[in-house]
Amino acid sequence: MIYQQMAIPPRSEHLWRYTPWPRIHPTVPTEVPIADAVIFSLEGAEAFEEVPSSESGVDDIARAFLQAAGGSSNRLFINEASEPIHINARASGHVAVGHLNLEVKGSAVVFIHISGEPEWVGLHITGKIHPNAQLCFGFINELDPNTKFLRCEDWLIERDAELEHATLSVGGFRCKSDLRSTLNGTGASIRQSVTINADGARHEDQHVEIHHLHGHTNSDLVMNSACAGSSHFIGTGLLTIAEGANKSDASQVFRNLLLSEKARAEAIPELEVLADDVSAAHGAASAPVDKEQMHYLMSRGLSPEESQAMIVNGFLLNAFSNLTNKFLIEEMRTRLTVHLECELKR
Amino acid sequence: MAEEILRIENLHVSVEGTLILKGVNLTIHRGEIHAIMGRNGAGKSTLANVVMGHPAYVITEGSIFYKGQPLEELAVFERARAGMFLSFQYPAVIPGVQVGTFLKKSVTSVRDEAPKGRAFRKELTSAMEQLSMDKSFLSRYVNDGFSGGEKKRLEILQMLLLKPHLALLDETDSGLDIDALRIVAKGINEVAVDSACLIITHYQRLLDLVKPDYVHAMINGTIVQTGGPELALELEDRGYDWLDVTA
Repeated sequence: MIYQQMAIPPRSEHLWRYTPWPRIHPTVPTEVPIADAVIFSLEGAEAFEEVPSSESGVDDIARAFLQAAGGSSNRLFINEASEPIHINARASGHVAVGHLNLEVKGSAVVFIHISGEPEWVGLHITGKIHPNAQLCFGFINELDPNTKFLRCEDWLIERDAELEHATLSVGGFRCKSDLRSTLNGTGASIRQSVTINADGARHEDQHVEIHHLHGHTNSDLVMNSACAGSSHFIGTGLLTIAEGANKSDASQVFRNLLLSEKARAEAIPELEVLADDVSAAHGAASAPVDKEQMHYLMSRGLSPEESQAMIVNGFLLNAFSNLTNKFLIEEMRTRLTVHLECELKR
Repeated sequence: MAEEILRIENLHVSVEGTLILKGVNLTIHRGEIHAIMGRNGAGKSTLANVVMGHPAYVITEGSIFYKGQPLEELAVFERARAGMFLSFQYPAVIPGVQVGTFLKKSVTSVRDEAPKGRAFRKELTSAMEQLSMDKSFLSRYVNDGFSGGEKKRLEILQMLLLKPHLALLDETDSGLDIDALRIVAKGINEVAVDSACLIITHYQRLLDLVKPDYVHAMINGTIVQTGGPELALELEDRGYDWLDVTA
């Protein structure tokens, strides 16, 4: 179905409860504005292939909108990459849209750094990880603090393939992410971490879906947010285990750190388990900074500000603790530490 | 007479409206080791925590002086920077914060300057070797997944690096096997030479290795008996019931 034929989803839908479509649309929902292209550039020897925008039917309004809006469309096929690949996604203009398709047949580490100052950015990333391949993927959102950002991702993880997926979101004013992964073969696995640092009046909505279609598949999601000022974070997860996908192992943990009285956070993991013999666990917690942790650090000479910064830093870094790839962990840790140090100096 | 480090006068302290300390008097000079013994709930840990400035403890009467200055004026981090140190009975877990990062930040704060890279590494390595700690400790998160013994060693490691003028050790010996206890005691003895030291313990076995100058028995929020090392032996032998009459 094309965008113009779609009805605006009601707020009763789990996905659109906290950030309804009209709030993340760049103008008014009936319009499809002319979009500038998000410019993707590569550091290293790899090269993009420019591809025509996909015209396949989608039933999700965000994806249909991004398809209708056009923008840039690139594809990167990776057989094997010994060094991490860094992709810079630069957005400019009023409304900017980009589509990127990744396909991995061997092993690779890929980072996408998105930056720029447009009023609105939309990004749709699709990826396929072939059987027995491994992709470590880091996404770093460093957009301007006034930018609205819509991000959709769709990952297909084939038999015995692995995806390590990390998100660090510190940019944008109103951000909505809808990240979906399908474990499409026995032995497929995903380890996913999402780290959010929100302040001011920032609104960040992260929706993560993981679908286990086959048995002996594994997923592990950790989502940590730190909310200051009057910011609002929403983390929703949908974990499904299909009928017959026995011996699947799935875990989702959401933790929110509230740094001010006006900050808000919602953590809503959801499970739909149709198989009999699985291990599925989920947990969610929202709390202010622990007073005993503060006291401990202050008793070692750190000021209250330094103590809180260290606790927040550690809390956010801890979201990457379920990852195993050293390049991925190091890059995400470095980016987060630099961001927090800059924030402390402001 | 050596320099007075800590003076506590008629200290009354309450926690959530319940009076715990009921008139504690205690003076400790540089180079002295004092031990406080008492039953669970007697107020020993409360004393250590209130000296270090834990916000849950409210002084309702009396005063604490550190090097002659009233302590109430100092915030917790200022007390640490002034040379006070508490080895916690239950140290906080700080997920995501690596021990190495934490130690460097703490030393920088207390010494008021960043330690020089090579010199600090040497100092750190030496202290860790003394405590039989593996270098892998440095990349672990502070107290996260640590055994009881590992937590206590990390506390003593911090004490060795921060070189406090006043060291408060709250049940540092609990959870330690005899080998670990010897290692930890060695660390305490090293710091105690040039500082005032207050050891809170239930057991004589630490005091066999760290010789106290004074032993105090605390009953129901008050120090009821003070003596030399022989008092610890008597308490170990007779328990605390005979002191209830005194209290």
